[in-house]
Amino acid sequence: MTDHQHPAELRPKMVGTRVKRTEDPRLLAGMGQYVDDMSPAGTLHVALRRSDQPHARILKIDVGEAFSVPGVVAIYDISDIEGEIKPAIPTSRLPGYYATPNWPLARGKVRYVGEPVVAVVAESRYAAEDALEHINIQYDPLPFAIRQVDAVKDDAPLLHEEAGTNTIIRREFKRGDVDAAFEEAAVIVKGRFRMTRKTAVAMENRSYLAEWDGRKQSLTLHTSSGSPGIIRDVLSSCLDLPGTRLRVVAPDVGGSFGAKGSLYPEEMLVCVLARKLKRPVKFISDRLEDLSATSQAFDELIEAELAVTSNGMLIGLKADVIGDVGAYSIYPWTAALETVQVVSFLPGPYRMEHYRGRIRGVLTPKPPTGPYRGVGRPSSTFAMERLVEMAARELNMDPVEFRRKNLVRAEEFPYRTASGIIWDKSAFQECLEGACEKADYAALVRQRDAARREGRWVGIGLASYAELTGIGSRISVAPGMPINTGTETSKIEIDATGAITASFGISSHGQGLETTLAQVIVDELGCKLEDIQVRHGDSALVPMSSGTYASRSAVLGGGAATLAARVVKGKVLRAAAFLMEQNVDDLDIRDGIIASRQSNLTMTLKEVASAVYTQMGRIPREQREDLTASETYDPYLGTACSSTHLAMVEIDPETYGVEIRRYVVAEDCGKIINPMIVDGQVHGAVAQGIGAALLEEIIHDDNGQAVAASLADYLVPVAGTVPNISIVHIEADLPNNVGGFRGMGEGGTIGAPAAIANAVSDALAHLGVSVETLPITPERIFQLLRDKALAGQPIQTPT
Amino acid sequence: MASLRYDGISGTMKPAQFDYAVPNTVEEAARLLAESNGDGKIIAGGQSLMPMINFRLVKPSILIDVNRIAGLNRIELVGKRVRIGATVRHHQTASDPLIAKHLPVVHDAMQHVAHVTVRNRGTFCGSVAHADPAAEMPMVTRFLDGTIIALSIRGERRIPAADFFVGSLVNSLEPDEMVLAVEIDVMPDEAGWGFEEFAKRHGDFALAAFAATLRMDNGRARDVRIGMMGVGEVPLRLPEIEEILEETELSQAVLQAVAEKLNDILTPNTDIHASADYRRHLSGVLAKRALRSAWVRAGGRKEATNG
Repeated sequence: MTDHQHPAELRPKMVGTRVKRTEDPRLLAGMGQYVDDMSPAGTLHVALRRSDQPHARILKIDVGEAFSVPGVVAIYDISDIEGEIKPAIPTSRLPGYYATPNWPLARGKVRYVGEPVVAVVAESRYAAEDALEHINIQYDPLPFAIRQVDAVKDDAPLLHEEAGTNTIIRREFKRGDVDAAFEEAAVIVKGRFRMTRKTAVAMENRSYLAEWDGRKQSLTLHTSSGSPGIIRDVLSSCLDLPGTRLRVVAPDVGGSFGAKGSLYPEEMLVCVLARKLKRPVKFISDRLEDLSATSQAFDELIEAELAVTSNGMLIGLKADVIGDVGAYSIYPWTAALETVQVVSFLPGPYRMEHYRGRIRGVLTPKPPTGPYRGVGRPSSTFAMERLVEMAARELNMDPVEFRRKNLVRAEEFPYRTASGIIWDKSAFQECLEGACEKADYAALVRQRDAARREGRWVGIGLASYAELTGIGSRISVAPGMPINTGTETSKIEIDATGAITASFGISSHGQGLETTLAQVIVDELGCKLEDIQVRHGDSALVPMSSGTYASRSAVLGGGAATLAARVVKGKVLRAAAFLMEQNVDDLDIRDGIIASRQSNLTMTLKEVASAVYTQMGRIPREQREDLTASETYDPYLGTACSSTHLAMVEIDPETYGVEIRRYVVAEDCGKIINPMIVDGQVHGAVAQGIGAALLEEIIHDDNGQAVAASLADYLVPVAGTVPNISIVHIEADLPNNVGGFRGMGEGGTIGAPAAIANAVSDALAHLGVSVETLPITPERIFQLLRDKALAGQPIQTPT
Repeated sequence: MASLRYDGISGTMKPAQFDYAVPNTVEEAARLLAESNGDGKIIAGGQSLMPMINFRLVKPSILIDVNRIAGLNRIELVGKRVRIGATVRHHQTASDPLIAKHLPVVHDAMQHVAHVTVRNRGTFCGSVAHADPAAEMPMVTRFLDGTIIALSIRGERRIPAADFFVGSLVNSLEPDEMVLAVEIDVMPDEAGWGFEEFAKRHGDFALAAFAATLRMDNGRARDVRIGMMGVGEVPLRLPEIEEILEETELSQAVLQAVAEKLNDILTPNTDIHASADYRRHLSGVLAKRALRSAWVRAGGRKEATNG
């Protein structure tokens, strides 16, 4: 699948190689260890009574005969534990923002169906579930506005009275004179775009186990988190425990897709209960709980307009967006993460002088929204790329040619977007060309046109986008968020046996970072892959860390690994130079063997380590250095990862079922560490994007109830839904960071919804309808056509 | 007989407590079911029952596992009927040569049933007993006028499919009765058939499905049977549509009449997957496709039905 090959001699040995993932033998053989695989002696199990009301005051909690169930240890509501934990407050520097306090259990009111209210702690989950059935909660139902268009109104019922409004986020980006641009425009296209609510559906549900060590008065939380360092830092404040007495470990984690990167009430709960009861306390979410109380994504209503000149140049863009943030602002990312990125990224990879984008993020009685692979940009790219193809159609221009005219060109980098994002030089144009070449666009257009003459509904759609990845300390990952997301630390230690331990603050949960970071270290240090153990996912490894999210771990973790490996290599060579009586400049190390250009002498890394550590006096006291280093990397700015997706679909003109016939991705992720892993990330993310485009939708009915609460109703893509995906890797100019890497774990979910929406719209164009809501289901196509009064006419049937 | 009590020592499974029994004979199973006073449940594949138990929507006092009873896992030809035993798995029905030869419409329907893992466990009779109005097994049993053989300590009872499917997920079994087998008359060799289903993902519960069998007599359709699912509270047999087709020559006009009639008589639900209007539209589409197949397979000319 890799089209783009570079001469091997220009490459270091390991980076760029399709090394099989070193984590796979344990994971594929069922020897991975997830939180639920851990059961320390005396573990207690938690089951939760969750709210069945979208908005209500809690009047009374009656436990009835719950304590008569054998094995029940304790039953708590918030009043039993609020003195032992402080709420997590997701602060932000954004003006006008309100940070909702986040407690382990509902306090006074419930604000969404699925919010935890009462915790039953028992010797087994069975007993806890049995006891739950005895508990009766009396509510006083309160008025609520379940839709964002209602919640945003001035007289809407307030979800958090203290905020004084439901609109807890407002942000506007402006550049140029957008009104004048629209007056000059030859063509204006507009739409009301909506990517409905989704959730990530990781294979492993959220899982937590807290252990209290009475001897050390310390707590260890095992969590299915992608950000154990962030969780450690916040829980340290909430529980008033210093880092020496609080450790947060993410063991093997079965996927996150963004959704496991936030702090959850249940995570706080098991900690406070373990300390209170002085026993291990475990909570494992089931699928119903995952679908109703794990963070959700999107649901922005985007009203956007694009102004274009008669020769197809983009001159202005306006957008008014209402984001449905759910009932709480999530810790630490806040309600600004998703919402603000929709308007800050809306202009996309295009030259756009005049822009005005406004977002209002409103509280609604639904589960909190949070990070979801792609964050904001799946929505913004969907809206922008629809507008681009609508404008091209209006001008009767080929959508590829239209993009070619407007994508930022090589000589224009670094390009500052209307919202202030800086695109460093990336292969915007080359990805467009690469995708078209791979798909043979001209031939595809001929195929489509031939199919149309037979009465078939076939369409082609593209999506070009750029994302900001590997962001350093200059910009917070979530706008206005005060925690540090801009640095990562790598600690590399060669021990007395010559084995190498590389410790990181990142937390791999499917990305294959144990393999890719080891590949980076092999090239820098000159050791063997099998001599390295990469450790991650444990707050005790490095002083501060924030985890794996936002397409940062290859850039920041890989950069830190490079820096630390260089320091350690220097120490190894200095020791070897003394031992081998050679000039250090004549030495190099490869495959763990130090050789001199000036002699036939060699030493192994193991021999050097032994000399340094165990052979007392072998190296003089003043020259002896431990073979260790800890380096922190801060790339300061971020780097653009760009891509073009191309899809061809066919729609059954009678059932309106959509089939994807062809799918091509061309992407520039800088220097590729492991092409196999990059391919895997693209495949997985495109599959996720196909789900968002065609199938997945979290639905709350007018009563505030979640009605897609099982995998029979929340439909994720399966093998049969996902086509073959062709990938073109374009390695253009490398970004100006230590490794030359760009982050690429999220892109597929950004491009696929837009490309498929465009392809479906193209297939339906002759019927005069346009896709503005995703997922585009057979039902939605039926409604679109019926609204056009076409569905009632005799259907043209292909013969 | 093995029996053990799940006492919830560890783990994170969620059912309420139940007894579990693994009888070796149908008589023993029937006795256990009778002794449970209506609180027992038969389990074979468990593909519908276990989720309901885990959600505590069903809290049986005892699960009676019939998987070890010899002889229930067979598909047999009994005279002019095909008999499908209580533990016959979906994968078996989908690939069985007797079914393919004598009930080809059932063979076609089975290709739409779920995915490999579900097919390896789920059973034909279990699905019939579950009576989901959007599942293939109840539908083919109903429209082919199958018979459900029920067993209790009071003996065997033969229940016509027309009397078996009472409502959505509701059947007419007595609390002490279990499904022993389903019998379906073989289709005449000269019969044509068509089965069309549409789901958002292949293998999911149908948004609608349409099945037809008919034979040809002097260029006209005879013995027309029409079934549908996913568009009502129970699997449907549609005499109103059969009447339109009986003794007619299939043509574009007739197909259009069928689609219009379906639009008049069907009262499907609106749910999160599809509106009633879309389901009615889809019913007409699937009807035309299935009837064209049936017509051609029965020996009719294809051109007549192409407009």
